[in-house]
Amino acid sequence: MKPIDPHKSSSEPVHLPDQAEQLNQMGNKMDRRTFIQKVMNGTIAGSLLLVFPLTAGTFVPEEEIPGVRDEPYDIFDQQFAFVVDITRCIGCGACCVADKREYNVPDGNYRTWVERYVKDLDDNIHVDSPNGGLDGYQTPRKDLDNRTRDTFFVPKLCNMCKEAPCVQVCPVGATFKTPDGFVLVDSTRCVGCAYCIQACPYSVRFINPRTRVVEKCTWCYHRVRKGLLPACVEVCPTGARKFGSLKDETSEVYKILRGEGVLTVLRREMGTWPGLYYKGARMEVI
Amino acid sequence: MPSNYGFRLIFVGVTILVMAGAGLFLKGFLIPDSFGRYGSYRADTIPEEASLPIKHATNSSCFSCHSYEAKIHKAGRHSTISCEFCHSTYADHIRDNKKFAALPVKKEGDITVLCLRCHNTEIKARSQEVIKTVAMPAHLADQNVKLTHNCNQCHHVHAPLKYIDRARKITGIMEKTL
Repeated sequence: MKPIDPHKSSSEPVHLPDQAEQLNQMGNKMDRRTFIQKVMNGTIAGSLLLVFPLTAGTFVPEEEIPGVRDEPYDIFDQQFAFVVDITRCIGCGACCVADKREYNVPDGNYRTWVERYVKDLDDNIHVDSPNGGLDGYQTPRKDLDNRTRDTFFVPKLCNMCKEAPCVQVCPVGATFKTPDGFVLVDSTRCVGCAYCIQACPYSVRFINPRTRVVEKCTWCYHRVRKGLLPACVEVCPTGARKFGSLKDETSEVYKILRGEGVLTVLRREMGTWPGLYYKGARMEVI
Repeated sequence: MPSNYGFRLIFVGVTILVMAGAGLFLKGFLIPDSFGRYGSYRADTIPEEASLPIKHATNSSCFSCHSYEAKIHKAGRHSTISCEFCHSTYADHIRDNKKFAALPVKKEGDITVLCLRCHNTEIKARSQEVIKTVAMPAHLADQNVKLTHNCNQCHHVHAPLKYIDRARKITGIMEKTL
């Protein structure tokens, strides 16, 4: 789907037959062939310039990811990245609440969640995530005998792998990677076999008990295509979650990914090449 | 009689053609149009997914009507907090550019619970560079207020130091509070 310039054909020299030249002299600006070409170009370009409705209304929030609303959106020339800065995460659970509200996620399932890692004085790691972090973390863990050396929070969400295991195993082509790098689920084709749930090394997928099809974090694809940040990034009070385009060299994620600092991905040894990066993550995080 | 060699050949040929036609028809019928445009999936899922309605808008969306709150919120320490985290989403409030439902406003003890989601020192993972934290009954005792006080009795929820800074200015006391 290459973007078509509606003005291109009119600027090219078009050989006009004699009759058409006469018509031109009589005042007609174009012959039938050029006219049809222009109409067709206009129709195709019009369908490419599809504007997705935002909220139910005409109010449009300002663009947060520069360049996405530029039209036409070239789906083959996009690269997005998600960065989670775990040194800034305070475990408030705002992202989890926003995610549940944005997608009406059923209770007990989580598109994103926040894990608490507790390291005791013997260097044992204890991980918990009561209700996925939806209620925040109000109290410290009391069920540990040993004293705590260190506590930190790790938000989890879809890793948007470049070599996604879930895409490889789907038998019906319901899970796929879009040309702009998002792993999405086609809910009309998914048969709910749950192979992808077993294949995902990050456990981000679940079967929605209402629709009986697989669901997962999409990095809020519907928001990104409207130039808005994902809902969890939108509500994060400390800037622990960052999202942006790598085609935009002024974006924060571009600077983080091309700059210095501790940056890692989860389960690198699995060769999934995640598009989700963790800043300041320690070796204990899996 | 037609049961000679030539007829059988034609019969087999016609049968193959009919079956192939039926197969092709069924294949075209069963496989969605956009399947295979970008890969082995239905490409129309992409615009379908992209056109889902959003629920969370941005803080500036809220501020476009709530200008009084905007002024306080932007000036305070809580300027990075999303309105929609505490008050629920834009889509629950506005439909067709009109308010159709009121959003909840947290009251009394709920406010303290909400504040302590972030500001609780007991959760050790909160670096002082990122957020100021308090240990709860101890903070009330330090400030010489009743232990039953809620956070919003001293702190403006949109700009936590608004009243405190004003009180400091009036009294001239610049001692450590928080």
